[in-house]
Amino acid sequence: MNKKEFFIGIVVITFICALSGYLLSYIYKITMPRIEKIKKIKENKINKEIFPEGVNFIEKEMDGIKYISVLNLNDEEIGKIFEVKTLGYGGYIYLKVGIDKDMKIKGIKIKEHSETPGLGSKITENKFLDQFTGKTKDDIYLKKDNPNGKIDAVTGATISSRSVVESVRKLLEKIKEEK
Amino acid sequence: MKKIIDFKVFLNGIWKENPILFIMLGLCPVLAVSGSVKDALGMGIAVIFVLTGSNFVISLIRKIVPSHVRIPVFIVVIATFVTITDYTIAAFFPQIHKNLGVYLPLIVVNCIILGRAEGFASKNNVFNSILDGLGMGLGFTLIIFVISSFREILGNGTFMGKPILGSNYNPFLIMIMPPGAFLVIGLLIALKQKIEKRKKIC
Repeated sequence: MNKKEFFIGIVVITFICALSGYLLSYIYKITMPRIEKIKKIKENKINKEIFPEGVNFIEKEMDGIKYISVLNLNDEEIGKIFEVKTLGYGGYIYLKVGIDKDMKIKGIKIKEHSETPGLGSKITENKFLDQFTGKTKDDIYLKKDNPNGKIDAVTGATISSRSVVESVRKLLEKIKEEK
Repeated sequence: MKKIIDFKVFLNGIWKENPILFIMLGLCPVLAVSGSVKDALGMGIAVIFVLTGSNFVISLIRKIVPSHVRIPVFIVVIATFVTITDYTIAAFFPQIHKNLGVYLPLIVVNCIILGRAEGFASKNNVFNSILDGLGMGLGFTLIIFVISSFREILGNGTFMGKPILGSNYNPFLIMIMPPGAFLVIGLLIALKQKIEKRKKIC
């Protein structure tokens, strides 16, 4: 390869990269507002599902933990929503945990997960998630792991269920310590 | 002599040199997203778009790209198309985007696309390259559609998310899991071989 060929190669590749960069920035500008909007709507929907009586959802931070403070019509805080990340069977599971003033679980929702479809993905169903409602940290064990536990694991998806249960309990313990 | 527009190129990708059944490239997304028909179709359409677009651009610039930088140039072109697709699907079809997950950006490293860029578009004119992209893309979509139909109906009792086999149907869980995809692909490849063989004898 002589010097001229080498130089042409550099010019061509630089030109193509620049062109592609320009095109992508254009596409980004068109699509990003929509993508952000969809994300926000989804987030709000989950918050509202956990606290149907909540009116205002305000992002706050307490000792380095981010949470969403839920206000009712009279601007009183009726609970908090925390986001937890935990390692499941097929990757990270992102949970949203709503906790009311008495440190009881108000509701939990799975925001994102990559568990096995048909098995682990059943952790997103209400049949599993509704078991958490009203429980305190001493109840949150799988029935098969601890005699005090009050949560039934999803059939065939013990690892996914356990990881959800453990992460919710750890969250409750962490908040209690800080109070 | 090669014709300027050769429609055989189009049919080639759909049946004879089908990317999944004959070239056997790009099997990873086929295994991964063929669990439901909707996702499979989303993936297929994304692949058609990226394949046709990158074939078009690459055959357009094939004469000005020196051969020693061709692979990085191809990858940049492919990555551009994939990113465009990724953003568009995220903005307009969020549910499909969520289900396809990481496999959408991974089209960049899908061997069919680089394979066709290197093996076809960089040696043929623009029209034939577009036809090749469309044909290969459709061939891919068709097969992933067939595989996902089998897997969704047998493994989940649904088609396009709607239950069709009734509530007392007990699904084959294995069909929804990765082994199911291997089974169906294997059977389809065998079927194609059988048909080809019969053709030869006749």
